[in-house]
Amino acid sequence: MLVFAISDKGGTGRSVTGTNIAYRHALQGNDVCYLDFDFGSPTAGAIFSVGSVARGTRESGLHEYLRGDCPQPRRVDVWAESDREGLRTRPPGAGRLVLLPGSEGGGELSALSEEVVGRCVQLFGRLEEEFDLCMVDVSAGRSFTAELVLAATVRMPAVPFRWLVFHRWTRQHIIAADGLVTGTDGLFDVGTRFGHDPEVLRDRIRFVRTAVLEPDAAELVGLRDEQRAWLSACDSELRELAGRHGVGRTTMLGKVPLDPVLQWREQLITDEDVLASKIANVETAAAFDDLAKKIVDDNAWEGL
Amino acid sequence: MTPVHATFGEVAAERRIASVPLSHVSVELGHLYMEDFEAGPARLREQFRRVAPWLATIRSVWRERVPGGRARVSTCFLVDDYFSRFSTPAELVPMILEAAAEHDLTIDYLARESACAQFEDGRSGAVELARLVEDRLVDDPPPETDGSRPPVKETGWLCNGSRSPLTTPLQAMGKARPWEPPTQNAKRGHSIFVDVELWDERGARRTWSCPFLAAVWQLLRLGLLRAEGRVPLPPVPLEGDWPGDWDRLPAVVRINPQAAPFSAYTTLSVLSPRFLPVELAVRTILGQVAVDDEVLRQVAARSESERVRLEEELVDRVSYVFT
Amino acid sequence: MLVMGEVHTGLLQNSGEISEPACRQVLGLMTGETVRVSRRPIVHALSPDRLTGVDCVLPAASGSRIRGVGTVVSRCAVTGGRVAQGSSYVRLARSETDRRLPWSHYLARPGVIEVLGKARAADIAEGFVGEGAPRLHGCLDLTAVTGRFLDLVQTSPLLNRRAPFRMPRTILRWVAETGEPSIAFTLHTEQERTLRLTHPGPFTPAVVDLCEDLAVHDWLLTSLLVVVERARVGATPAAEVAARLSPAVDHLLHLWMPAARVEERLTPFWESLERRPGFSRQWRSLVDRVRDQLAVHTLALLSANAETGGR
Repeated sequence: MLVFAISDKGGTGRSVTGTNIAYRHALQGNDVCYLDFDFGSPTAGAIFSVGSVARGTRESGLHEYLRGDCPQPRRVDVWAESDREGLRTRPPGAGRLVLLPGSEGGGELSALSEEVVGRCVQLFGRLEEEFDLCMVDVSAGRSFTAELVLAATVRMPAVPFRWLVFHRWTRQHIIAADGLVTGTDGLFDVGTRFGHDPEVLRDRIRFVRTAVLEPDAAELVGLRDEQRAWLSACDSELRELAGRHGVGRTTMLGKVPLDPVLQWREQLITDEDVLASKIANVETAAAFDDLAKKIVDDNAWEGL
Repeated sequence: MTPVHATFGEVAAERRIASVPLSHVSVELGHLYMEDFEAGPARLREQFRRVAPWLATIRSVWRERVPGGRARVSTCFLVDDYFSRFSTPAELVPMILEAAAEHDLTIDYLARESACAQFEDGRSGAVELARLVEDRLVDDPPPETDGSRPPVKETGWLCNGSRSPLTTPLQAMGKARPWEPPTQNAKRGHSIFVDVELWDERGARRTWSCPFLAAVWQLLRLGLLRAEGRVPLPPVPLEGDWPGDWDRLPAVVRINPQAAPFSAYTTLSVLSPRFLPVELAVRTILGQVAVDDEVLRQVAARSESERVRLEEELVDRVSYVFT
Repeated sequence: MLVMGEVHTGLLQNSGEISEPACRQVLGLMTGETVRVSRRPIVHALSPDRLTGVDCVLPAASGSRIRGVGTVVSRCAVTGGRVAQGSSYVRLARSETDRRLPWSHYLARPGVIEVLGKARAADIAEGFVGEGAPRLHGCLDLTAVTGRFLDLVQTSPLLNRRAPFRMPRTILRWVAETGEPSIAFTLHTEQERTLRLTHPGPFTPAVVDLCEDLAVHDWLLTSLLVVVERARVGATPAAEVAARLSPAVDHLLHLWMPAARVEERLTPFWESLERRPGFSRQWRSLVDRVRDQLAVHTLALLSANAETGGR
């Protein structure tokens, strides 16, 4: 299964959520790889706490591979190479967790050539052969990278893929997320142009809300009644807006609550962070765990 | 009990390659296009007039070369029925034979150019010779080709070196490259870069280029092609009269029952100089065709057994007279 | 001088095994060339050979830059309709000149790379299969060539890509020379293996068959080990263990046919590997373990049924 993570805008928490889903999916016993296709700013290494590739790798990164400058992209075994002690041993029962970092100092793709698409197809094909889940961080907004994966997936019709569109729970983000999917030159538009069946593509796209502040959240205890009422009104307004834009509950795969840890530092949330040091919220870890199950659960992806 | 030696064989697991009878040289007396036909029988007579002395020369050259002087020379004539259809065999072929006879030339075999692309009949089944040869192309690698990338291809083209690299950057804010010239791999000092169009496609219909079909034609005359291990398009005698439709004509017709074998160790084509660029393209293609190992061995063994020294590289077995 | 090659082996990307006609279609890599199929003792289909042209530096343990020009032979195979392989090899020969000749010269010697200039076979062999040999820039990349050939099979539109389990490809890198018979098989990382073979008499493609046969069996063993490890016998409930082991029973266990396609004069090499490390011994012990687990689980189910039935 290929899962593409995209967001309407930067700063949605797409990368941190994507990496955490990948991590949880590996903990659930699956072999997982994470591809950092965020070519302008490849920082997945930092989230996995692999210092040597924190801002991408100097040699054999994914850009280099796609440009044809190296035969195979570098693979980093997170269980072996992470600097975080809590990650460095593979937990019993966990699957492989492998990061394919971007290239340090790489830039966004500026053109789509036949060769680049061919190399992308080869990469996806081979990874899908050995990993249960390949999570691809496609970066924010409309990009050649998004075009690239749309062009690549249409050539491998038998390989299952899904899209996750990450957005924050605000007016602008909801409108932008909808635009990214259904707007002019959005995912449907471009995907259909490349030869995807629009109906099939629609069934393979789900939204994930990030940094959601629930009106009944613990953080809100101590707010004045007026504030709470205002928040509640806002929330229902947003729900209505989201429904109108097709970003509503039915197309939502899950949501991740606002967690101070993720606001301050983009990192994996381990069980230790929740249970021992208690710096992260139980709900956050649970949300990642839930999403990690849902991305492969066909019931959650049934046609609407 | 003594150990029993068991042998077990499976036909489908073995590779069987038929062998083909070979002349010493196959001489192409001419190649008829629509424009030649339109120019009338005079053009044809003129062609045969120019060919006749060369055929005599090549016969005597081979008589000296072959022990006992028994040179096997066969002649052939190719009619273009692929790029344009004109006239009918019934009308055209007797005219060709007559014009040849005027200069004491015997045409042993007559072939249809479209058969070099693909051919189907009850006897041979379907044979796609052009596809077969295309699959046997092994691109001439520019220096520093280490196999890490698939061969650089412009779909439908074949060149003798490296093309100019792309000048536009593949990455946002990346550097553009200055223009660089294409280079020939086997250059001597300076390049003669050749890039040959093998085919083009309009919708699903593919049209093979003239040089590509000419390369297939050369390989067929050299007896170096096999389809499923069998010799494709073996010459057949004509039954009855020349038909009124090209499609009812066999791919290669044996006109002269006493003719030496159609295929040969070497080929000679006597052509007008206007075909020079086409033949340069043909040689560029032939230089990159990998003939089956087993077929090469068969031909080498046969020529050795009759003490004919053959050029090792197949392009060197093909010769021309431009006149 | 020396023959070197690589075999990549992986699980065919299809939900079940494919039939013999399907094998023929998947492996029909060249118009007018037949796919060779043998049916005893296991269905084995072999594509026609294809060539790739190269002009590059050859591996060398000493780090010296040895140039070679010629063609690599590659082919694909499917064993038991279930295991896919890409395989490439080259025969090295000294060139009679120290400059590159016209390409048609090399095409007249398919599968040969001519070495320009001075080179020792041992240096190249060590550079190719030796531990810690320097990776030279622009060096002959048989891994890439072979990987692409295996991709041709795995991406065939005739396959549904719903493989019963995920498994990395294994890579066997081999060198063969003529001499006193000896064989050395070494496991490196999880996916990489090397084989050094010295055989009496001249090289023939039967040596490649032997390498491919060894690679299939090494892959089977590696994969069965992974499946058993993933089942976490003892740490997970018996029903789950049984469920995780069942793909092995359905897709792997019947494929073990050591030396099935090995020419008689080369079978002693297989036999020596059977003595040490004993491929078949380890395979049998794993198979027993898988079958025992399933038997225990079945017994538990039966007795549970009997109890509820008795009440």
